[in-house]
This record gives sequence, structure tokens and C-alpha cells, in this order.
Amino acid sequence: MKKFFVLLYLLVVLSLSQAQVKVVTTLPDLKSITESIGGEFVEVFSIATGYQNPHFVDPKPSYIVKLSKADMFITVGLDLEIGWVPPLLNSARNAKIQKGGEGYVDASTNIPLLQVPTSVSRAEGDIHIYGNPHYWLDPLNGKIIAQTICTALIRLNPEHRTYFETRLRRFIDTIDTKVKQWMEQLKSYRGIKVIAYHNEWPYFEQRFGLKIVDFLEPKPGIPPTPSQLAKIINTMKRENIKVIINSPYFTAESADLVARNTGGKVVTLATSVGAYPTIKTYTDVFDYNVQQILSAIKE
Amino acid sequence: MKCVGVLLVLTSFSYVGVAQSLADSAAIADSLLTIELQSQLPLHSQPQPTIAVRSVPTTNPDISAIGDFRLTYVTEGNRNVELHFNALEVQVSSVVDPYASANFIFSFGKDSLNGEYSAGLEIATLTSLSLPYSTQITLGKFKPHFGKVNMLHPHAFSFVDFPLLINNYFGEEGMFMEGVSASILVPNPWDFFQEFKIQFGRSETNASFDNGVNNMLLVNAHLDNFFDLTDNATLNIGLSAMTGPNTFNQRTTMAGFDLTYKWKPIQFNAYQSFTWQTEGMVSQTDTAAGTSVHTYGVYSLMEYQIGKRTFVGARFDYSGLPAVEQSDERMVSFLLRFQPSEFQILALEFQNINRNYAPSFQQVVFRAIFGIGTHAAHPY
Repeated sequence: MKKFFVLLYLLVVLSLSQAQVKVVTTLPDLKSITESIGGEFVEVFSIATGYQNPHFVDPKPSYIVKLSKADMFITVGLDLEIGWVPPLLNSARNAKIQKGGEGYVDASTNIPLLQVPTSVSRAEGDIHIYGNPHYWLDPLNGKIIAQTICTALIRLNPEHRTYFETRLRRFIDTIDTKVKQWMEQLKSYRGIKVIAYHNEWPYFEQRFGLKIVDFLEPKPGIPPTPSQLAKIINTMKRENIKVIINSPYFTAESADLVARNTGGKVVTLATSVGAYPTIKTYTDVFDYNVQQILSAIKE
Repeated sequence: MKCVGVLLVLTSFSYVGVAQSLADSAAIADSLLTIELQSQLPLHSQPQPTIAVRSVPTTNPDISAIGDFRLTYVTEGNRNVELHFNALEVQVSSVVDPYASANFIFSFGKDSLNGEYSAGLEIATLTSLSLPYSTQITLGKFKPHFGKVNMLHPHAFSFVDFPLLINNYFGEEGMFMEGVSASILVPNPWDFFQEFKIQFGRSETNASFDNGVNNMLLVNAHLDNFFDLTDNATLNIGLSAMTGPNTFNQRTTMAGFDLTYKWKPIQFNAYQSFTWQTEGMVSQTDTAAGTSVHTYGVYSLMEYQIGKRTFVGARFDYSGLPAVEQSDERMVSFLLRFQPSEFQILALEFQNINRNYAPSFQQVVFRAIFGIGTHAAHPY
């Protein structure tokens, strides 16, 4: 009898693992959303960590092994990962996840984009020609990403359609409830002026009503220069700006220097799931960021 | 049903409103209305939001041009100062179709002997993307995977010149061959990256190999092993073996190893990194006189990133000369590299070169690398 149960257990485990869609995502936010929709029928690996600059991930060969076995690959797209995804995909030897393959998912599909340039020149720094790619930092875009991922999961695993759709509905409901709560919390501070290190917050800014006046980087991707920092200090003093938004993967030296000279407060927001140990899901990112902004403003 | 239609229209309007009012910070009411309306709709009747105008997609390949300018001061000879535009590299790459990608690199380089510029085709490859069993085939003209540095183009190497063993055995730009390359990801119980590659074809003539006058082909094999030691540290160990015809119409056989340790904290990988790389090879050249000449070469380099834009490094080289026994060169180099952006690299290097067959000398080289266009990322 004991042997029978062991055999039964092994069969269940085996059948479950065979039914699982192996997914590789570029960012942990896409991993979190995929797990929210796919539940027990997905096994997800994220290449980047939550405290890593998504522009500059090293294309380590160990990721090629993961990609070679994947059924699905989910990318932020819009050339955010142009420096590291193409060499990985070219070496993955996996037709399913190549661009155009049934397992290739561009999470930016259907996202209403911001900052789509009308002309492009490298004299402007690291400009993304398809628009600003940090769209997952608007939780309403998270719903669109979830819908895109759900459609892809159904395409690869149609027998679990109802399961995926049920979980999509639950995810959307959670986001809707949370967005109301977050916007309510920040309602009184709508239009508050802030400074940011890098131009990666336009979607967050738009959703939560912040007003980013300038950046520590003189141009996207160009490290802060003394003249830029002097300009920021003057702007902050003139316009009485008290908050500087930093990201986990930028050193705080420049932001701290500006804060010391203006009496401002540096707040390091989470750009992704896993930025800090307490941020385990997609909604945790916004819970954390809203709290951080509220604390900084109230100080 | 009508109600759903009205809601659809209302939702569409609200989305349009959101998209159009990007600069308008009074979006909060619209957003809340959108959420309300969405939550009342059946899952699959939700309209797609209005998509902002996107850049026009194109099937044009990625095209880049990379320049390499040098200023050299050398202690030997009468002409001590040299300023020259060393090379222009133009790369065109793209996927061909769902099954393959292509890569072409043209080089316009200055001949160090006669000072004239000449154009040449360096790389022209077709690489499969979708073969089964984790295999991949490349055909065309490429650099054989012997060691670590030979796979690179000079602009992608940290130091201003390739190591002496590459210069002496393969040439200033490394070795090129025309033929076929087949590789497989070797499955293993520990799931680490292990790739076995075999390449065969004809070599471009260099100090070690020749294009050949009979059916003797160049054959190269490489085993690449990559280990994630921690999130921040990796170890890459490679083994290579190559054999093929030489200019004596005999055979040259080589074996080599490469070892690369990298430390790069993933959170601040743009600010700090450390690389230690060592490569060695032994060569046996069979000569027309029926003798075999055994020589070897080795280098070891270290590079440390001290800031977001600044690197320092040091390298030691030892290299014999192929087919010339008891002649060798030693070099010690110190490097300071500054990168104003991803697209511009300024490097200053001091080199002390000792040769047992000629006088020693020192030189200081300044190199400026600058790129425009979309250049495919280099392998890790």
C-alpha cells in the first residue's frame, strides 16, 4: 500500500512537471506577473534581479542554458534589453523563443507608450527609439502585461485556459483595488515636484501625479556632472523641491551631495520586484514606493 | 448588450483621454473611472487601449561603424612619434529568417609596413537559430574559437593590442578561417554551461597556418565551460586544439587553455568590476626539413574598474615565435582606460618589450575607439 502511494505521488509530480510551461523572463516583474497568472502550471526564471540595472545585465553563458530549455521567453522589449538579450537568444538554439516563435512574448504589446521620440540622436544620450521602456512602473500597465502573458500561456497550454483566465481576473481585481488605494494615499500630494536620477519614472509619475522637474544625469545614461548637479541644486532651492528619487543600482553619492546642499531627502525607490527583500510581488513594488514617497514628503 | 457597447465606447474614450493627456496631470479621475469601467466588463470584451504612436518598425539590418585612432611614442628608431587612423570596421548584422542570422564585418585598415589603407572582408557568417538537440551551425568566414582573445575584434579587447601570442602566431587582428563551425550545448547533471565546438575549413595564411595546397584542412576544437561561482563572480575555463597545413606544406598543431575569472557586483555592475584572464598555448610546427619546432606563449592580465568610466589594468606576456626556436619576446603593459560613454573608449598604455633576438624598447600608445550606429553586443 505504501509503495502504491509513493508511485502515485511520483506520477502526480511527474505529470505536473510535464504540464508546466518553462518560462524565462528578462525582469523579475514579468516573472511575478507570470506566476500570478500561471500558478502551478509555470516554472519561471528571471535573468535580471530586482536590484540590477535592466539596461546593463551581463549576458552570461549560464543564461543560455536556461533559454535553451524554455518554452516561453518574455521580454520588456522597446530595446530596453538590446545590450544583452540578442546575444543570448542567438546562442540559445531554441526556435520556440526566437522572435516570431510561439513562445516569444513582447510584454510591451498594447502598452500606451510615453516619450516616443520623433527624431533620434546619440547626442541626446541613451534614447530609446520606440519610447520609454519602463512602462511596468505604472500598475495599470501591469494589467495589460498580464493580459498579454495570459494569452501566450493559453496559446502554449490551452487545456488550462479557464485556470489562467480566472487567475488573470483575480490579478486585475487586485491591481484595481490597490491602484485606488495608492492613488488615494498620494492624492493630497498630487503635482508635487521631485528630482530623479535617471529618466525611468514617467509612467509612475503620470499614474501617481508626481512632477519630475529634472534629472541628476545630464542626459540619459551619462553620469551626473558637477555642472548638472549645480544646476539641480539651484533648481531645487528656487522651486523648493525636497525629494530626490534614486534607484537601487545607482550609487547615492550624487543624490546625497545634492541633498546636503538643499536640505532635500533622497528616497531610493524600487524599480522591480526583489529590489529589497520585502518586495516579493509586483504589487509590493508600489506598496513600497508609495510608502517611501509618503515618508519622504512628510519628513 | 447595449450597455456593454456604451461601456466599451466610454472605456475607449477614457483610454484615449489618458493617452492624450500625458502631460496633463489631472488624470486621476479618468484613471479611477477607467478602473471602475474595466472591472464591470467581461474579461474578453475589454477593449485594447489606444496605442501611442510607435516608431516605424523596419527590416533594415543593424549597421555600425567603429573607428580606431592611435598615437604612439616609441623609444627605438628615428621616427619615434606616430599618429594614424588604424582601422575602420563596418558591421552589418541581422536575422535572415526564423532559422538563421547573418553577420558581415568589413575592415578598412592601415598596413603597418607600407602605410596604405586596404579594405577587406573579415567576417561573413550564416548562423542557425533553430536546429534541434541544442546544436548550432555557422558557415562562412569567421575567427576560429581557439582560446579567448582570438574570438574578439581588437576594439573589443581591453588593451590597445592583442597579446603577443596572438600577434606572433596568428597576426595583429587574430586568425581567420573559412569553413563550417558546429557546436552543441553539452547536457550535464549540474546544468552548467558547457559547449563543445568543432570547426574545419581553410585558414588565412599567417605565421602558423596556411591556406594549403592539398586536401589537408584546418581543424579546430574548443570546449567551453562556464561556472557561476556566486551572483557576482564567474569562472570560464576553455580548452582548445587546432591542427592544419602550414607554409612548409607540413602540419602545425596547437593546444591551448584559457581561464577567465570575473567579479562584477550585479547591483553596481556599472561602477566596479575585476577581471583576471590567462591564456596559454603550445605549438608544434613541422618543417620542410623534417624537423619539428616546439614553441609556446602565455599571457596573464588583470583589469580593475575604479569608477563608472575608469579602468586600470596590467598584463604580462611571453611568446615564442612559431617555427623559430629559441627566439622569444616578453612584454609588461600598464593600462589606463576612460570611457566617456558606451560608444567611446580612450586608452593609454605603457609597454615595455624585451626580445632576445633584437634590442628592447618601450612605447606609449594612446588609442581612441569610437562607434556609431547599432553594434551587436559582444559575448560575455
